[in-house]
Amino acid sequence: MPENKRGVGAHYLNRVVHCLLAFGYCLLLLLACSNTDAKFQQYYVQGEQLYIKHCSNCHQKSGKGLGLLYPPLGPSDYMEKNFDDVLCQMKYGKKGFLSVNGKDFNQPMPGVRSLTELEIAEVATYIYNTWGHDRGMVEVVEVTTAVEKCSP
Amino acid sequence: MKLFWGRQRSLYCLPIAIRMFTVYCLLLSACRGKEEKLPIFGERTANGTDTVFHTIAPFRFVDQDSAIITNESFGGKIYVADFFFTTCRTICPIMKTQLVRVYEATRDMPDVMILSHTIDPEYDTVALLHDFARRLGVESKKWHFVTGLRDSIYKIAQTSYFATAMKDQTEPDGFIHSGAFLLIDKARRIRGKYDGTKEEDVNRLMSDINTLRKEYGE
Repeated sequence: MPENKRGVGAHYLNRVVHCLLAFGYCLLLLLACSNTDAKFQQYYVQGEQLYIKHCSNCHQKSGKGLGLLYPPLGPSDYMEKNFDDVLCQMKYGKKGFLSVNGKDFNQPMPGVRSLTELEIAEVATYIYNTWGHDRGMVEVVEVTTAVEKCSP
Repeated sequence: MKLFWGRQRSLYCLPIAIRMFTVYCLLLSACRGKEEKLPIFGERTANGTDTVFHTIAPFRFVDQDSAIITNESFGGKIYVADFFFTTCRTICPIMKTQLVRVYEATRDMPDVMILSHTIDPEYDTVALLHDFARRLGVESKKWHFVTGLRDSIYKIAQTSYFATAMKDQTEPDGFIHSGAFLLIDKARRIRGKYDGTKEEDVNRLMSDINTLRKEYGE
């Protein structure tokens, strides 16, 4: 009899512990999700400020660029196909021809050498999630990889 | 008594109302007339009974089509002048964006033109200016991009248009220059000065162009 009782009690305790663990796991999952969202928001908002400061005088706040002088960022088939290059160009600039949406551009673009990898990730998060782009979060590690390959 | 407050009253008051209304209109047009004239910038001297105003000195430059451009090219025209260079990455992109706005807004006004001078004539060749203008999508007969002797350009910038323009190695792009737009009337006088990097100031320029045109009865 007593053994049975202990068995039932242990079984009950087991279920409670399992429930608590499951609940705890769900909570962690929820927190993790909202953390990612918050991080995205942070990068996006910071990126927008940096874009306005460093990029908008040529590419415009609207991302539309200017004639055949400064290419548009949205929409931009070039951006979609040349992610790593775009990250590099933010830091080191770009010389020579490139084609965006079927139009040729040739105006040299100055880079902003002072941008940190975090800042590049922030600007990229902004431009790749605005004006029709929908890439999602751009992580610092992606920037590090790209920039390492193109450093002059 | 009843009659006075009926038909007679309206007959009595109407002429007075008409007279008052006419006076009001005259006053309004007189007042508006006074407000609607743009100032004339620069020194003025008295020459007998006439006032001699500051005017843009004669110039001779070459534009993006290799055409010789002088004051005569702007004879009988209102124009907007500025100073820039094609490799400028600080204020010039904004200035060009704003001038494109002015270009578009005055597209149907044959009496309004634009004159952009390069302050880096060694780099900004005619061919480069031609490409630049083409890329902006503008017609050369309305918007001239001119180059010429460096000294001539700097001198006219500083002494005629009162716009700063000079080489300076300490500046990020190598030049100090103002982002000013100058509005010049048909008598080559400066009628307005605007910050070409500020959208609101360029709005003011566009409004002033309309005011100036009215002065000439356009």
